[in-house]
Amino acid sequence: MSQNPLRWAIRHISSSLFYVFPLCIVRVYTSLIRLFPLHLGQFCVFVFSRMGPVELLHMSVFSQSFSPCGRFLAAGNNYGEIAIFSLSAALSPDATNLSQKPVLLFTAHEGPIFSLLSTDCHLLSAGNGEISAWSWTELIKKNAKPLWTRRPNYKSSLEIPEINSMIINPRDNSLVVGGGDNNIHIMDLEHGAFKSVLHGHSDYIHCITVREREGEILSGGEDGAVRIWDSRTGQSVHCIEVYKYEDCARPQYGKWISCVTTDSDWMLCGGGPSLSLWHLRSLSPTSVFPLTGCQRQAAFYQDMILAVGEGPFVSHCLLGGEVKAEIPCTPQSLNTLQLNTNSTEHRVLTVGGSSDHIDVFTNLSYRAFSLSF
Amino acid sequence: MSSDSLKKRKSKVLRSEGGTPEMKRGRGDGDPQDLRVYSEEVELDGRDPEQDFLQYKESCESLATLMSEIQDLKASGAKEGCAEIEQRRMQSCIHFMNLKKLNRLAHMRLKRGRDQTHEAKQRVDVLHLQLQNLLYEVMHLQKEISKCLEFKSKHEEIDLVSEEEFYQEAPQEICRPQLTKNDPHQLTLARLDWELEQRKRLAEKYKESLTTKEKIQKTIEVKKEHLRSLQPGLNNIMQASLPVQEYLSMPFEQTQKQTEIARHLPPPLYVLFVQANAYGQACGEQNGSVSILDRNLCISISGDVDEAKALSKPPEDSQDDESDSDAEEEQEKTKRRRPTTCGQLDDKRREMLKRHPLSLCLDLNCKDGSFLHLYFYYLMNLNIITVKTKVSTTIDINMAISAGELLKSDTLLSCLYTNDQGRETPNPANRYQFDKVGIVTFADYVEELGHPYMWVQNLGGLQFPSDVSEGVRVGSSLSASHMERTMKLLRGRVQSRLALHKQFASLEHSIIPVSSECQHLFPAKIISRLARWTTITHQEYMDLPYTRHVTGAGLAKETDLYFMAVVERGTARLQAAVVLSPRYPEISPLFSLSLSWKGERSGRTDDNLRAMESEVNVFKNELQGPRPGHQLLTNQLARLCVCLDVYLETEGHDDSVEGPREFPREKMCLRTVRGPNRLKPFKYNHPQGFFSHR
Repeated sequence: MSQNPLRWAIRHISSSLFYVFPLCIVRVYTSLIRLFPLHLGQFCVFVFSRMGPVELLHMSVFSQSFSPCGRFLAAGNNYGEIAIFSLSAALSPDATNLSQKPVLLFTAHEGPIFSLLSTDCHLLSAGNGEISAWSWTELIKKNAKPLWTRRPNYKSSLEIPEINSMIINPRDNSLVVGGGDNNIHIMDLEHGAFKSVLHGHSDYIHCITVREREGEILSGGEDGAVRIWDSRTGQSVHCIEVYKYEDCARPQYGKWISCVTTDSDWMLCGGGPSLSLWHLRSLSPTSVFPLTGCQRQAAFYQDMILAVGEGPFVSHCLLGGEVKAEIPCTPQSLNTLQLNTNSTEHRVLTVGGSSDHIDVFTNLSYRAFSLSF
Repeated sequence: MSSDSLKKRKSKVLRSEGGTPEMKRGRGDGDPQDLRVYSEEVELDGRDPEQDFLQYKESCESLATLMSEIQDLKASGAKEGCAEIEQRRMQSCIHFMNLKKLNRLAHMRLKRGRDQTHEAKQRVDVLHLQLQNLLYEVMHLQKEISKCLEFKSKHEEIDLVSEEEFYQEAPQEICRPQLTKNDPHQLTLARLDWELEQRKRLAEKYKESLTTKEKIQKTIEVKKEHLRSLQPGLNNIMQASLPVQEYLSMPFEQTQKQTEIARHLPPPLYVLFVQANAYGQACGEQNGSVSILDRNLCISISGDVDEAKALSKPPEDSQDDESDSDAEEEQEKTKRRRPTTCGQLDDKRREMLKRHPLSLCLDLNCKDGSFLHLYFYYLMNLNIITVKTKVSTTIDINMAISAGELLKSDTLLSCLYTNDQGRETPNPANRYQFDKVGIVTFADYVEELGHPYMWVQNLGGLQFPSDVSEGVRVGSSLSASHMERTMKLLRGRVQSRLALHKQFASLEHSIIPVSSECQHLFPAKIISRLARWTTITHQEYMDLPYTRHVTGAGLAKETDLYFMAVVERGTARLQAAVVLSPRYPEISPLFSLSLSWKGERSGRTDDNLRAMESEVNVFKNELQGPRPGHQLLTNQLARLCVCLDVYLETEGHDDSVEGPREFPREKMCLRTVRGPNRLKPFKYNHPQGFFSHR
């Protein structure tokens, strides 16, 4: 009797009510089912949802990642959803409106997905303080089931810290994770264990990048510092406080650094301060780009720099410091920019921001079309 | 010719010679021989014709020889009258006489022969006639025989009882087995007798039954009379019980009268009437009482009953119709005198848009003492139902200016179901009718006739398939299936409008009413204040620069209501353009924000303002309050104030600028910024009272 309280309760109640009215019993049963939702709730792990028009209106795309084969694009939004788009379908000559819609849309995390990353065969997504891995082959088969979910060892906090950036350090096959708790967590991808924590930033970390040859990790944070870490010792080697350089500083915006990227001896960083190109050996800014608004992501591309941020355009800058072009896009402000280098036939630039649209550039000089959630 | 005439003359001579001389001779012959009867005819019998023929030949030959002797004598020169010639002449005369006699005899023979043949022929004719008669008689008799053979007796058609049965049942004197066993004719006769007997008996029985039936009918009549005599008494009792009914509020009489009138309703309104009545009663019983006072639904019929009666009986007064049409013609004539075709077209239009004289009034009680009055009209020629609305409340409703639109008949029931604006006629056939009389759109007449909402048609059991013009069907099942949901929607709509009405009244006085159930959604101290709440037009809304994304997404429709809220704190001024769907609170209001503080920012350019927008637009479920969510709008406004507080207090302080912050940080926040787009913590956590990120 005590082993199955539900059945006991039903029998007890229904026997006492049998003489009243059969309908009452039905009501009692349904209310009991409501009281014990355990048996019903187990089925709905992932709900494939379609958003209403208001939700679409307030959607932001924060992160993107191309599949290893280069034929698919994963994009994460502020509702914790990941959409998989088929680039081969969208770029084919007989593409329709439907091929610009995701082939798979699933809710991966509770909070917004600020970072997505592809390894050889996995898609890593960072949600509210947790990292999930998904198999690309399964995703392409429209099968959304996480392979694993890990959580860095956060010190207890009222609010779960977000993960703003992830990068793979190929030197020791580890995942470098930076986010809301001001620390960089390094996870061993082979064992799945968090092996070290890098302390140093005084505010949360916006962005992380890795200098593979030198074995260095660079991180930019809300505190306005770009820190350079030795990945082997876990020590902070240098700390550049960009906002203290007069050329770069923009006190009206703030001091945070929201994008860092490197190419051999050169580093690109921006945010509150202007986007600027730094020579790492001398640790000095060589050129400052006169872009309005705060930049969220930047990338080296051939002899050019592509940058996105506030404002509905992709900025093309020359290394010397001139802004060459500003190519208009659909979203009013942009969060993410990604170049597909995995596949030569689908070599495109995609940008996402404060909209449910992801703009696709087949040629860098104009927007070809938009993928949409 | 000459020879023919000669012959004729000869024959004549011969006849005369044959006739008269014979008689002369006969008389002459007879006179001397009176005693000896001589008759040539008798002589004739005794003569042989062969002999006569030979005699004739002989005579002719001897005559010829005599002639030739005379010629020879003449030639030899004998004198006239010589003896030899004379002798010979004498002899030839004798021969001539002989020839004459022979001729006569031949004639007589011929005559006799003729007579004989004639006689024989007559005999043959008589005999032939006899034969014919006999043959005819034979034929007739044969016919008669075949007729007799084919004759069908009536008794063969009679369905007789079988032989065995007959022997079993029939009495001895009828069946007479010794006689009938071997003679089928007698058997049939006997069986027929038996049949006749039986039929006689049955006829008697039938008569008996008829008399009993008559008797029973008479008794029935008597009883009916008796019952009829009870009627006045009962009526008296009913009359007497009226005050009691009223006292106990049991409206038997009234409902009876109403159903009587309802019979004259057009079919769609009748369906609506019956279903609404049924639904109203069902609701009343659920509430545990049938009293009229607290019934949720009240149905009444208004209009000219007599006119409706006349309409509902068209065949009876067909003559009247004719006279009517005459009258109409006269009218038309008088109209024709006025040379305006426009006037005629107007009349046609009026005729087409004519309403049925009876209309239905539905009073829906919306719990807090306010009533929604629905007036249903049936447009006879268009076959659609229209509705007009009125809301009556116990409280004064004229205090809020911005609420003017809320309870207008025009917008009150707009979009009760998705896209049901009630401006165009739902009957596709009407399009063609309109074309004829030059009506461009029904929307021009909505003000006058009421709105033909889709749900109204459904309540009346009218269904119009979207593309086919035929197939209008009336079904109470259709009406019944829509009744409950529609009534609930109607009640919900009025309640939400009344709630909005109240809220608008206080919003216009810059007070955001927050009920005690929703107190936990907001911190105790909110510094930002609502400064203004006004209504704006659709065009004004579209012209705002920061609402372009809403119109672009098709979320600002013409049927929606538009408002502008201004929230102020210090020098900061937040404008919020609000789209209020007629289906509020089912479809939540949509806010678009623009902040003027240190420059203009809007939800399109500032991520934090965009987050504030989604805080009120997307995470509205937390703000709905107690069901059915009438406090959504005010809670959204309250949250907007809270969010503005957070926005202003957490705005990064520029260290280079001297002086104290304009907005000192009072809210408790775990972190002021988070994530790559540096969002501020807009989410309020109730019991702890701090703000965090989503």
